[in-house]
Amino acid sequence: MEILQQLAESFTTFFQYTGFANITIGHAIMIVIGLVFIYLGIAKEYEPLLLVPIGFGILVGNIPFFENAGLQLGIYEEGSVLNYLYYGVTKGIYPPLIFLGIGAMTDFSALLSNPKLMLLGAAAQVGIFLTFIAALALGFPAEHAAAIGIIGGADGPTAIFLSSKLAPELIGAIAIAAYSYMALVPVIQPPIINLLTSPEERKMKMKPPRSVSRLEKILFPIVGLLLTTFISPGGLPLLGMLFFGNLLKESGVTRRLADTSSKALIDIVTLLLGLTVGASTQATTFLTPQSILIFVLGAVSFAIATAGGILFAKFMNLFLKGDNKLNPMIGAAGVSAVPDSARVVQHLGLKDDPSNHLLMHAMAPNVSGVIGSAVAAGILLSLLMRVV
Amino acid sequence: MFYDTIQNSDSLKAAADSAGAENSLAGLANNLTFDISKIGTDGIIISVIGYVIVFMALLTLFFFIKNLTKLLHLNLRKKLSAQGRQVEQKDLDIPGEIAAAISTAITLHYQEVHDFENTIVTIKKVQKPYSPWSSKIYGLRQTPLRK
Repeated sequence: MEILQQLAESFTTFFQYTGFANITIGHAIMIVIGLVFIYLGIAKEYEPLLLVPIGFGILVGNIPFFENAGLQLGIYEEGSVLNYLYYGVTKGIYPPLIFLGIGAMTDFSALLSNPKLMLLGAAAQVGIFLTFIAALALGFPAEHAAAIGIIGGADGPTAIFLSSKLAPELIGAIAIAAYSYMALVPVIQPPIINLLTSPEERKMKMKPPRSVSRLEKILFPIVGLLLTTFISPGGLPLLGMLFFGNLLKESGVTRRLADTSSKALIDIVTLLLGLTVGASTQATTFLTPQSILIFVLGAVSFAIATAGGILFAKFMNLFLKGDNKLNPMIGAAGVSAVPDSARVVQHLGLKDDPSNHLLMHAMAPNVSGVIGSAVAAGILLSLLMRVV
Repeated sequence: MFYDTIQNSDSLKAAADSAGAENSLAGLANNLTFDISKIGTDGIIISVIGYVIVFMALLTLFFFIKNLTKLLHLNLRKKLSAQGRQVEQKDLDIPGEIAAAISTAITLHYQEVHDFENTIVTIKKVQKPYSPWSSKIYGLRQTPLRK
């Protein structure tokens, strides 16, 4: 009889530690969201390199367990493996490494051949600052508002970097929102582009970019670093790594380093970042009204940024003549979701005119947007870090 | 100076203080109403200044890149003008499509080996040094082409 009682007690104790005993409605919701991310990544191929690790991370982070039992399992439990890996997110270590890889993969030729397109990348940053104001109006503290606004830059690493410094408690929601919108660029941007441009504007052809010399390509990362970081030193970790990676690529003499940065290193960091960001959505910590509001504000920010780029391209056209005029659609690529937004513009261009290839032109504001959002992050960091 | 102004600004300090007080996110949730007065002048100033600085940074880069090509072509233009040839900057900018066409043509030119085949065709005697240890060599085929 005693044995049976002991067995029953053991089973009860064991059951308390299982996921079935600890599941909440929040866990179930997050697991469904994780499955949706994985589905979108695999079946629809929406940014699978982001959505699959994040989606699986959401599953990992939302397996219910007996919290505060000293098991050191959860991402928020000090000493757990996931917590160590998450350290790279909370301390802003992963974003500069990602930027190193992006720099080593990015070809700035399109931008160098038509530098006025750089202004489109600046114009699209309007989303960051308008959302900052909107978040302030909603009662968020200034540093939280800045971290939320940066989602409009459509740059996951920059959003993580800034929120790790200004609003560590919101980092999970901001990272998920930023990466989700980056992955959903093909869904979010086309309606805005179609709304703000006429069929004639979408059919506009742009003159082919000129060829760029090797010397120009080598000088750009050096001068780019000096100019941008002297203006906005707060963006140094991101801009420094971006331009360093690009110099490794363009110098032509450090091929091994460029290869490692653009392949092995960025792959490792991406999978660690994706998994831990996904796992940070542990329902008990993540599912709050603020997270939902951050998602909404992020979408607004992204939409404003897209519209800002398009409208500024139209504004520039007022001063440009002949074949120098811009197809306003490329303004949408001013958000720094590289290369997704440029691909969207190319796709839409081909839809209206199968001979109109806009990819190279759209890549210019796209890479300029990366620089612009990193500069914006640096400025917000400099202005708000001391206030906190 | 500007940073000091921002640091000392009352409304941002108040925002930071209130952040401490109502930083508990649950507290914030109950207080989420859209109220323009919460923005304050400092919020607007940060936005305007921030956006202007982003524009300035990229505008500076724009002017640098715009003039870089002219600087790099300065020497070439001097040489050409010494030869009595006046060229405009736009004449020196080769469109990418043309550069791609030239590159493709050069690559095809060098890969087109049939036009430059070695016309000396000879039959070379294959060396078959005899050794009792390798007598089987006579039974094996040796390819005449050696690269």
